[in-house]
Amino acid sequence: MAEVRLRDIEKTYPEGTQALKKISFTVKDKEFVVLVGPSGCGKSTTLRMVAGLEEITEGELFIENKKVNDLSPSKRQVSMVFQNYALYPHMTAYENMSFGLKIKKIPKSEIKDRVMAAAAILEIEDILDKKPGKMSGGQRQRIAIGRAIVRRPKVFLFDEPLSNLDAKLRGQMRIELAKLHRKLDATIIYVTHDQVEAMTLGDRIVVMNKGEIMQMASPMELFMKPANKFVAEFIGTPQMNFFNGKILEIDQKISFKNDALLFDLSNLKLKNLKDHLGEQVDLGIRSEDIYPHIGDLKNYTCISTHLIAIELLGNEKLVYSEYQGNNIVARFRSDFELEMNTKVNFYLNLDKAHFFGKATGERIY
Amino acid sequence: MINMKKILIYIFLSLAAISFLYPFYWMIVASLSPESEIGGLTFLPTEFTLDSYIQMFSKIPLGRALVNSIFVATLTTGGVIVFSSMVGYALSLMEFKGRNIIFYIIIFTMTLPFQITLIPNYITMVKLNLVDTYAALVLPFLLNSFAILLFRQAFIGMPKSLIDAARMDGCSDIRILYQVLFPNIIPTVVIVGILTFMNSWNEVLWALIVIRDENLMTMPQMVTLFSVGGRAESQLGVKLASAVLLALPIMLAYSFFQKYFIQSMASSGLKE
Repeated sequence: MAEVRLRDIEKTYPEGTQALKKISFTVKDKEFVVLVGPSGCGKSTTLRMVAGLEEITEGELFIENKKVNDLSPSKRQVSMVFQNYALYPHMTAYENMSFGLKIKKIPKSEIKDRVMAAAAILEIEDILDKKPGKMSGGQRQRIAIGRAIVRRPKVFLFDEPLSNLDAKLRGQMRIELAKLHRKLDATIIYVTHDQVEAMTLGDRIVVMNKGEIMQMASPMELFMKPANKFVAEFIGTPQMNFFNGKILEIDQKISFKNDALLFDLSNLKLKNLKDHLGEQVDLGIRSEDIYPHIGDLKNYTCISTHLIAIELLGNEKLVYSEYQGNNIVARFRSDFELEMNTKVNFYLNLDKAHFFGKATGERIY
Repeated sequence: MINMKKILIYIFLSLAAISFLYPFYWMIVASLSPESEIGGLTFLPTEFTLDSYIQMFSKIPLGRALVNSIFVATLTTGGVIVFSSMVGYALSLMEFKGRNIIFYIIIFTMTLPFQITLIPNYITMVKLNLVDTYAALVLPFLLNSFAILLFRQAFIGMPKSLIDAARMDGCSDIRILYQVLFPNIIPTVVIVGILTFMNSWNEVLWALIVIRDENLMTMPQMVTLFSVGGRAESQLGVKLASAVLLALPIMLAYSFFQKYFIQSMASSGLKE
């Protein structure tokens, strides 16, 4: 049971900057958890604290129910794969993978077995005698993962391992990492700033911002029910559309209103919205919840927007338009014909709308 | 036109090279000529003789001095590489209070000429009863601020994640320093090695002060005493022969290291 538990972890640097503010979460045994967030949000610091490379200022860290705050990195039974691979340049692939085991005085024959087993999993048997300088980025990446595997850790830590690879290779490695997780059956904590990586790899995702956890949830839940405006903005491409306005009761109908818009919300089962009457809110709607025609929509509102740009992605197109000072992106099928600089009707599916309090950013519906 | 320019450049460079190399060459030629022939600007000795060398060896125990010099210079070089790299490592990769102040103080000592600390150093040697011992020749030179600076700069340039990875692998600081970092900064190690060896080899003043026992004298000290101190009996050839012998080991060491130096530069492959 390699469970990793962080309890009220804080990190304050000597000069006073607080990198982490009371972070608590638990990574279950054999779970693949992704820490994601913009740069400087504290995700790498969190990972380095779990690794033991960064001192924990306050709080407790448990691995397998054992407090490890003061254990050295090599005694925590974790392995880490670094962004720039951090392979020893003067050693061959084999030596790179076996170095840590040698230090632990593991018998030579066992080292060989372990390295060969890892090499077989990663299909790198033929480059074991090469030095990192003579390898491609993808090969270095595999060696770095191999070095982590041979140590047979309880927890694998990945620090943006794919960000130095080109787009095509990154896609390949992403799939391989997912496969590897199933093969190794291990607990993995993975840091990335790329939400696609986070969504495709993670069993659960921790979204972080400014040293705090914004939400920890499964990829689907993050997408469908973002806990606050930050998560709603961060997850999903293109970014969610937002309208700023007030919740008001107009003609006994609950409505969303600003200078330019008036959406009738009375058909939604919006009990909680009533509690926020008169408050400033952000209404969020994803591009895929905007349609070019009514279809089977039940609760919708229609706005006539001014088309600015179209991005054709093949199977679909992103339609950028402007409505009374708001920029709106919609995602239409690519066979839907549109003409530039014309008016286009957007049908917003209000059933899929998200509401966030303006002041707190928290989800209110 | 271009060819003309090239030719002129080559002529100029050749003249410059000759002006640097000729005195050295002349010294070697003269040391191999009979005493009576020395004096003119010659290119080849009219008569080849090892007379000067034979005379020199019969007059002073140069063999013993050579061994002493090699011993002292090697020990000093080894010490500087080991200890200065440790200090450089601490100053670049470990975090502690006052780190920068210590570094600046160390850099400041570079501005002090050796002559200023000569007397305090000598008194220290006397108090420690180290006068007329090998330790007196080695101990004061075991740490060197320039070497510390070079090592510090080399370590600062290493990717931090390399050190993190080594820590995850269970390396202690000493192991990180010598097994992970050292193999990747060989050019720096070689430069520090060459400079320290040369400085130690050429050090005369200090040796003259702390060593009086002929059995402990280093080569430059012996040669200086021999040339200046009158034992060469004003014979130029013998003086020159001793100077050649003095320069020979350092040239051999340099040519060996230089080859190694270029090799290590070419194969480090430490690119991110």
